[in-house]
Amino acid sequence: MYGRKGYQLVKDFSSGEKGQLKPFNSKLFDETIEECDQNHHLIQSLMRKMQQEGLDVENNRNADHYGALTHHLSLIRNKRCLMAYVYNRAEIVRDLAWRVGLELLDLPSEIQEKLTTLEKEYFKNHSVAIKSYMGKVGIELNVDMVPPKDPYIKVRVLDDIDEGIVLGDKVTNFSRHSMHFVKRTDAERYIARGQMEELTG
Amino acid sequence: MASSNSETGFETLVSKSDVELLKRAWRNEKAAPDILQYESALVDRAKEQIELVEETIDDYTENGIDPLVVSLYQMDLDRTQFLLRSYLRVRLLKIEKFMFHSHKSEEAQHRLSDQEKLFAKRCAGDLEKHFKESVLLKLPDNYQSVLKQSLISEDHDMVPQPHLDTFVVCRSNNFVSLNLYEEGESAETVEMERGDLYFIRYKIVKGEIESGKIDLI
Repeated sequence: MYGRKGYQLVKDFSSGEKGQLKPFNSKLFDETIEECDQNHHLIQSLMRKMQQEGLDVENNRNADHYGALTHHLSLIRNKRCLMAYVYNRAEIVRDLAWRVGLELLDLPSEIQEKLTTLEKEYFKNHSVAIKSYMGKVGIELNVDMVPPKDPYIKVRVLDDIDEGIVLGDKVTNFSRHSMHFVKRTDAERYIARGQMEELTG
Repeated sequence: MASSNSETGFETLVSKSDVELLKRAWRNEKAAPDILQYESALVDRAKEQIELVEETIDDYTENGIDPLVVSLYQMDLDRTQFLLRSYLRVRLLKIEKFMFHSHKSEEAQHRLSDQEKLFAKRCAGDLEKHFKESVLLKLPDNYQSVLKQSLISEDHDMVPQPHLDTFVVCRSNNFVSLNLYEEGESAETVEMERGDLYFIRYKIVKGEIESGKIDLI
């Protein structure tokens, strides 16, 4: 009661690593919503009680009024916790869209598991908004995330990527452990997904 | 405009003053907590010049000009492209961060380009829908608003706003004299000479940055 579940929900979120998602805690989430409902029922019953006693609900400041006020304050605190939980996760989802890729299927499966259906929906909608902006402006905005030092970099491929990727005007085979000398902008996306690593030595 | 004269050796193809302007706009945008005025003319010019340089580079590669020269041009192009992309990206990220605020504040709307306004509207719509479906529709009736905590709240108290009180580092281009406090309180002023560095609250220098008298670092 009185905001405890909301507090636990927020603690659950902040106990994860910063910038990383944990699986959506639906159990705690639903319990917090239930707490809100309980608070609401109590508010309503207190207001009914005041009305039955013939008191003016708006202005009369008796014990019941303050009881209702306490429930109201707990309720909005839980609401804030719930919204913060959803909002912070949405922020991480947006960050993933920028850094890793705009297609849902590009996300590694460990991350996809942690998102709810609603969050995947939000991811898709947001990607569409970003793509539409990029289309209108005519510039790709999700490459070039770090200031350029060399136009070409050496990379080593870590995972098996599909064969026949077209890079520039060549068709290359990215087999595991092969090293390539590619344009930085092309390699960025693969590096962000952990499929390639840059060789700096 | 861009000048490309292969006989006079290596010259920056994208006009120098435009790159300087873009760099300045980019630095200011990165350092400011709030979104600044959209530099529409500058962005358009930069886009044109980038295209021109890309064509020139393609030409050169076909004609077999020394690859070292071509890659120098390419690096210069990359740098300019990075500036432009990062400028637009920083603005979008600020819009994302203060979604509902950008959408509701008249002043903020003036500083966005048309495409950014559309983006802000869609972002806000998407997030509102996401909130409604995951949380708000499950809550009791009076508490379902995205912007207010409950129907009793007077303002939109659930909308995060940019922190205009953040401290920023700035350098003045001219002699400027500024009021440190709000009107009506003690009128302490700070005077900045040209080239002085100051670590000061953003709110105070906001007007001067917009008019170009002060730069953020």
